[in-house]
Amino acid sequence: MGLPHATISRPTRAGSRWWVYFALVAVVLVSLYPLYWSIVVSTADSTAVARGTPMLIPGENLWDNVVSVFEKVEFGAALRNSFVVGAVVAFANVVLSSLAGFAFARLRFRGRGPLFLVVLSTTMVPAQLGVVPLFMLVVALGWYGDLRSVIVPGLMNAFSVFWMRQACEESVPQELVDAARVDGCSLWRVYWHVALPGLRPQLGVLAMLSFMVSWNDFFWPLIVLDPQNSPTVQVVVSQLAGGYFTDYSLMITGATLGVLPMIALFAVLARRLVNGIMSGAPRGR
Amino acid sequence: MAFDLSRRTRARRKLPDSPDNVRTPTWRGHRWSLVDLRLTPYLMISPFFLLFFVFGLFPLAFTGWISLHDWQMLQGEQRFVGLGNYADLLRDKHFRNAVANTTAMLMLATVPTLLAALGLAALLDRGLRGRMFWRTSVLVPNIVSVVAVGLVFSQLFGRDYGVVNAVLDWVGIGRVDWATHRLTGYLVVAVMIMWRWTGYNALVYLAAMQSVPRDQVEAAVIDGASTWRVFWSIIVPSIRPTIIFTVIASTIAGLQLFAEPRLFGGGTLGGDDRQLQTITMYLYEKGFELFDAGYAAAVSWMVFLLTLLCAAMNFSFVRRLASSE
Amino acid sequence: MSARRRGRGRWAVVVVALLAAGCATGGGRGEITITVATFGDFGYQQLFREYEAQHPGVRLQPRISEFDPHHKSLVTQLAAGKGAADVVAVEEGYMPQLRQSFDKFVNLADLGARDLQSRYVSWKWEQGLADSGKVVMGLGTDMGSLAMCYRKDYFQAAGLPTDRTQVAKLWPTWEQYERTADRFAQAKPDVKFADSSASIYTAMLNQSEEGYFARADDSFIGDRNSNLKRAFDTAARLGTKGQTARVSPFTQPWTVAIQQGSFATMPCPAWMLTLVKNAGGDQNRGKWDVTTVPEGGGNQGGSFLTVPRQGQHTREAYDVAAFLTAPEQEKRIFLDTGSLPSEPSIYQDPGVVGKTDDYFSGAPVGKLFASAADGLHPSYRGLRDSVVRPIFGAALGRAESGAQPPQEAFMQAVTEAKTALK
Repeated sequence: MGLPHATISRPTRAGSRWWVYFALVAVVLVSLYPLYWSIVVSTADSTAVARGTPMLIPGENLWDNVVSVFEKVEFGAALRNSFVVGAVVAFANVVLSSLAGFAFARLRFRGRGPLFLVVLSTTMVPAQLGVVPLFMLVVALGWYGDLRSVIVPGLMNAFSVFWMRQACEESVPQELVDAARVDGCSLWRVYWHVALPGLRPQLGVLAMLSFMVSWNDFFWPLIVLDPQNSPTVQVVVSQLAGGYFTDYSLMITGATLGVLPMIALFAVLARRLVNGIMSGAPRGR
Repeated sequence: MAFDLSRRTRARRKLPDSPDNVRTPTWRGHRWSLVDLRLTPYLMISPFFLLFFVFGLFPLAFTGWISLHDWQMLQGEQRFVGLGNYADLLRDKHFRNAVANTTAMLMLATVPTLLAALGLAALLDRGLRGRMFWRTSVLVPNIVSVVAVGLVFSQLFGRDYGVVNAVLDWVGIGRVDWATHRLTGYLVVAVMIMWRWTGYNALVYLAAMQSVPRDQVEAAVIDGASTWRVFWSIIVPSIRPTIIFTVIASTIAGLQLFAEPRLFGGGTLGGDDRQLQTITMYLYEKGFELFDAGYAAAVSWMVFLLTLLCAAMNFSFVRRLASSE
Repeated sequence: MSARRRGRGRWAVVVVALLAAGCATGGGRGEITITVATFGDFGYQQLFREYEAQHPGVRLQPRISEFDPHHKSLVTQLAAGKGAADVVAVEEGYMPQLRQSFDKFVNLADLGARDLQSRYVSWKWEQGLADSGKVVMGLGTDMGSLAMCYRKDYFQAAGLPTDRTQVAKLWPTWEQYERTADRFAQAKPDVKFADSSASIYTAMLNQSEEGYFARADDSFIGDRNSNLKRAFDTAARLGTKGQTARVSPFTQPWTVAIQQGSFATMPCPAWMLTLVKNAGGDQNRGKWDVTTVPEGGGNQGGSFLTVPRQGQHTREAYDVAAFLTAPEQEKRIFLDTGSLPSEPSIYQDPGVVGKTDDYFSGAPVGKLFASAADGLHPSYRGLRDSVVRPIFGAALGRAESGAQPPQEAFMQAVTEAKTALK
């Protein structure tokens, strides 16, 4: 994978100076405190929260809170929906973007330059621009409240194509592509046998990033998924903030539960993700 | 090309485009292979363009069309009004308010976030023990969803029972009604954004810093330049394209601010005075609460123009700033 | 050991919930499922089970969400032609807006709803009609006869009377209520007198004949309705004097404020009692009491059950709605939750009138609410009430928080309302 390991020796190579670590520890504490706080609140009962003193030690109510999150809102269904959407979107992004990226990077065809410029310029268009007609389209297709309405528009993403093109240029040598063609491979076989194996690490990162972006998306699901019928985790969690569910710890428990799958994924793939981001992997909101 | 932040792309020589350069191979099934050669590339990129036309270009164009009409989401098209919606929009106090709010939050969030990210990247760029540990730790906030961030920080900054107010009370400053006042509200939203994005941007900067040529840095050190000076006059200018990229990406993301102020401001209005309503929240209010599709479409187009404007401004500003050293 | 086993049991619940979510829809075996969407808990669980027992082949599925999302998603679902529940509760404040889309609802008259007219107090029946009476859009559930909840213990601490008849004498008018607030503030400064300006304003507005629109021609009168102005000024004054806790019902801060006992009084429509109980929990039992509201009764809230046309089983849905709003069921709901039925035969029933509520220090809630019900005149709601209401609500909020002087806030609201109505 393309991470440069030639770390430049900085003038202050004695980087082990204590204040550097002190500053980093401070940053990490600030980064982790809200998460720790969420866990503490998830384990408390609501009156403890209302007492108004900052809590530092977890309480004993975690199971009660978790169970009531599942009982009060359709959390199970929401988890399932988010998994389905995330998985399909991640898979489609990996396949479709690597195909397009491979074509743009390593194949020659008429109009390649202008077409790629189109891909690039779409990254500048804010997602909100099309929401009004997209909503009408979704309604016209009968997809309102249906997972298809969030899956299909998310199948493809210009950033992914852009990054896959770049990844191909780094990891799929033109010489290999040409050699395979000389051996009589069709372009599809070249893609399958040369490009995909070369791209494997980047594809893993792309899959994870696509899954994350889809999992964390809020604006579009809020519009096209019926908050009462088949929403995703984010929509359900945002509902917990509303008036009917008047329990702080319940709400934070929901938020924490919604983050947990991401944390689990991150725990397994953190190193790859860091390397991916450092080699230019796109990160939508 | 604003998004081309890869130094390796530029380093590697691309092969020329013209088909003549293809080595003439001795393929079996010459005709089929010609079809393969000509057609397959288009097949490979077609899914993107197909989806792009249906879910990208069509809505884009149709938004423009709708914005020229009095168009209700429920009852459909009413009548053609020309630029009427845009004229109303320019006189609309609530729209101006939303633009001002968005811009303020954007500035309050982006500038400190990116400066902090630069600093953090400089720290991470030292020969550290446990390099991967620090890098993954600073990335953790970035995987938390905006909704969770919005909920958790709304509680941390709660008026009556928030941790932050409890601490302020304890040190004698007293409680602050964060969400009611404009400036404090902006601040909280900015804190949310900063918390979530500083680490990510630091990694992006770190990657760029590591490809700054080592000899330049060493030469400067031999000349007796301080660390501070080396950082600002060699490293920062060298990673200029990356900085431009992050500024533009943050700006585009900032113009789409929605979940954080909505959850913190207590709804789509962003408070009693609309003090935290962003453009996207206003778009949502008009389009999906009041179902005024024509007006919402006009808002969409203004957002687009604003995005282009911001991107252009950022680009020229950052370029000038980074090269003025 | 036992704690651990319990923990495992809970996990099993979660897992089962996950699995069940996967296969909940459908029902199978020729069974039909009727979903009933309500905002908040209408106290229907037990009734559902009985209905299912009496009607094999019908499954009732509750769908509970909160007030705003409930109504907003209904509007979207109607527009999208998809997703609405089979039976949907609509709050009275949203009826005028939805009445315009009456064609999206089943005309319950076609299914025999006119036979049920005699159940209802006449104004409640009329609120459920649309298309100048040709369409029966909703069957009334409860109504929101007004009373005032107060904290006995705080009144005692502030040197005020605590007995509910004595307390009622403190505030025959809203001006006297205000004066009581001043007295209370001096004696007990650490507790606010009311929950929010919005509560007071809404109660006062609901007591007046007209609100934002004229009953005669539905024109906007928010700028010249003296009752409205008086309500706004009174409520804003309490706020600017710092006598409100600045928490409004249906929000989390309000719940916490009830738990903490941050305020001493609040206007209570009948259905509010359940909210107070749920929020306050056992540790607040017996601290509250209920008495009459200044200047007599008024109706605040109350709902209807409607049947959207898009449903698969509208006939069965109507049967469920008719069952849930039938006098026998309404009476049980009242005795159970305190939601006041809109059917005279019930609110005059001795069992209902005689009901007291232990949580509220044994207050005779039956008598308090039911006796007021006969003389209720609901305030007129314009067709575009829901457009204007939030504008004035926000203005009052600005005045209450001190962000804007009340007069300025009011003037701004009038301007904004006129723009919005254009």
